[in-house]
Amino acid sequence: MGNGIQSIHPFVMFFYYLFVGFYAMFFNHPVFLLVGCFALVAVNLTHDRGSSMKQWLPMMVGMTLLIILVNPFINSRGTHVFFYFRGKQVTLEATLYGVVTSMSLLMILLLFISLNLVLNGNKILYIFSRILPKTAFLIMLSIRFVPLLKRRLTEIQDVQRLKGRTIRQGSIRNRAKSGMAIMQILLAWSLEEAIETADSMKARGYGTGKRSPYNPFRLTKVDRQWLVYLFVLFIISVIGGLLGYGKIIIYPKLGTLHLYSLDWVVFASSMAIILFPVFVEGREQLKWKYSA
Amino acid sequence: MEVFRLNEVSFSFPEEEQIVLQDISVTINEGEFVIIGGASGSGKTTLLKLLKKELRPTGDLKGDIVFRGKPVEEWDGKRLIEQIGYVFQDPDNQIVMDEVMQEIVFGLENLGYSNFEMRKRVAEMVHFFGVEDLLRAKPSELSGGQKQLLNLLSVLLMKPRVLLLDEPTSQLDPVAAKELILMLERLNKETGMTIVLVEHRMEELYAMADRVLFLEKGRVLYNSTSREVIARVYQDETKQLLAYLPSFSRLYMEFESNPILDSIPLTVKECKQWIGQDAKEQAVQPTVPGKAESSPFLLQMEDVYYRYKIDAPIVLKNFHLTIRKGEFFSLVGGNGSGKTTALRAGLGSIKPQRGKIWFEGREIGKMKDSEWLGKIAYLPQNPRTYFLQQTIEEEMLINHAHLKAEEAERRMNDLLETFGITHLRSRHPYDCSGGEMQKAALACMLMSEPDLLFMDEPTKGMDPISKQQLGELLTHLQKQGLTIFMVTHDIGFTAHFANRCAMMFDGEIAADGTPNELFKGNYFYTTAINRATRETRQAEVLTYEEAVAIWNVHETI
Repeated sequence: MGNGIQSIHPFVMFFYYLFVGFYAMFFNHPVFLLVGCFALVAVNLTHDRGSSMKQWLPMMVGMTLLIILVNPFINSRGTHVFFYFRGKQVTLEATLYGVVTSMSLLMILLLFISLNLVLNGNKILYIFSRILPKTAFLIMLSIRFVPLLKRRLTEIQDVQRLKGRTIRQGSIRNRAKSGMAIMQILLAWSLEEAIETADSMKARGYGTGKRSPYNPFRLTKVDRQWLVYLFVLFIISVIGGLLGYGKIIIYPKLGTLHLYSLDWVVFASSMAIILFPVFVEGREQLKWKYSA
Repeated sequence: MEVFRLNEVSFSFPEEEQIVLQDISVTINEGEFVIIGGASGSGKTTLLKLLKKELRPTGDLKGDIVFRGKPVEEWDGKRLIEQIGYVFQDPDNQIVMDEVMQEIVFGLENLGYSNFEMRKRVAEMVHFFGVEDLLRAKPSELSGGQKQLLNLLSVLLMKPRVLLLDEPTSQLDPVAAKELILMLERLNKETGMTIVLVEHRMEELYAMADRVLFLEKGRVLYNSTSREVIARVYQDETKQLLAYLPSFSRLYMEFESNPILDSIPLTVKECKQWIGQDAKEQAVQPTVPGKAESSPFLLQMEDVYYRYKIDAPIVLKNFHLTIRKGEFFSLVGGNGSGKTTALRAGLGSIKPQRGKIWFEGREIGKMKDSEWLGKIAYLPQNPRTYFLQQTIEEEMLINHAHLKAEEAERRMNDLLETFGITHLRSRHPYDCSGGEMQKAALACMLMSEPDLLFMDEPTKGMDPISKQQLGELLTHLQKQGLTIFMVTHDIGFTAHFANRCAMMFDGEIAADGTPNELFKGNYFYTTAINRATRETRQAEVLTYEEAVAIWNVHETI
């Protein structure tokens, strides 16, 4: 599962996540958002049958419920009053606003779970390196150091523990002292080792001129087609949204929730954006089954 | 054609009187495989760094270094970077990027090559090395040997004319080291690449080297073919270099009544031919484990199971080990066999999921820190992790407030004397050389008179002379009652100094016995001299010293 989407060029995926993120914050019609959430659940299911979504489930449910329940009680704007709680009015508008906010956040959370699976590690750095090449290079260098530092830290801890310096036992004061000592060794040691790293960079010509970054991904014809697909639909959705479709008025007085025919057009085009990974995956499946 | 020509090159560091290199005149020809040997501090690494312009240390350089007919200074920077490749000692420190693929193209990116050229070179070289499956891996997931191969690969992608390597195998286990050396030999033979290699572990290099260079105190002592160097060392009686020669060549020089230059054996095969195959089939002596000693147990590990994470593979399983008082125990085994984990369990750094560990008959997990502090000492691979104080003297005295001042002083002086580091007492530990730092750390630990000393790869990256000194020192300490638990790859060292050893395989102890029982008869896990003397007319030996002691028959050869 999820092989189809991994072969899509990171740039296409980048725009996909950008557009869906935009969608989640731009539209506020509850139907739009609710169906958007379901669509993203479907997208996550195609990635890994929802196993990473499961890990986040308690967090997602908790957050949604919390916002829906708490918002009406701390926010008393709106005109349709349900009842009074400790002298403050609890309104329909505030309740609905809570629902909309929580779903919009839920969508973004789902989006990040998917992003984490698809644009992992080097793909995200690759996108970065096109926008901010120096920063991306620096990030790469720093990530490289993490496992090194971790290994050195365990080694130092092993040695210092036998000298009675440990952060696992003793008074807080002593633990803090030991921690500082351990950090001091780690820093001195790593700085010294880093000299060799710098030498190795110099020996391979770092800093002799402009770098020409290696490009591990190639934009294929299919990628270009999907990119056009996403952009066209996105433009339709944005124009629709600017004209007021897919949006509702909540404060000060709740407007209509009715969906007009043009609302449906905007709805369809934005759904087509969100479900893009499902289409990719489906196409892949069909090809596998019927091409031979 | 000459690749390098050095004309009376001298070098010294600024504000230091001592001269690092003096009047070095050497020529290195295209396609040669040159190895450079010499004790630590003899200037080997400095010499190598002088050949690579970007790494040249700041200091006073006299004489000229000519690369392919043109002084190095006149070359275009980028061309020079490409044409002279350099591989460093530590496999980890050289790696810059977080993905293997990114790492190998790092140099090409810096030099501004097109994506087309990068893809082409990567495709070719990766195939030659056979490491396609590693391309998407992270460097931190690779073994030491794989990392060093990756470093070599990333240098080779720049298509160098000459390859300089500074002790590339010193941090590797014997099998990985061998693999790297074989790769170098293949490069030299198949592509004619010039290779200059600085090494301590030279035993197997003599056979493939076209030329051997020995440095001493910044001067070239020998510069000739392998066999000639060996013969000259014996002729001049250069005692300090004997330890650098292959042990089977030493056997030949010692036992052959009139040695001939061309038949000095450089490989196990040649040595066997010289001794002569044993005519009659020797009955295989079944090795009987020696009788148990009677001294009390110091450390017992019973039925220990350990894994780092719940879904990670098991590192230790059904691990049993007992160490008696006064033993010098050595644990050997391949990479990833769980040696280091076993040591850490013994230290109490990790708590096994199953099984028990006793120290002096009491369970480690249930003891208070104060009960074992000072009784267990641990010398890590990198002694730098030990020091916190400004001077060695302070470090030695800091944890001994309970002792009377003069008592502590006396003990410190004794130790400094024993270790021969009295002159370093007021020096900052980081300003000492690797070997000195190790001795200093050991001296500091012995201040509290520990019962048990753990050591992790104490001979890594050491030259043969320092190794010998360390071994003698440890034997001396053992005689004074110290029990030693060592984890190592170094079979030669183990065979020479340990009195009990065990081989680990797949999380268990596969065999346990004296070095003789354990190593004699193995194909790989043994010393080269043992391989050379097995099934020959002479008695099978593990070390050169053993041969000298028990072979007394010049006439039979």
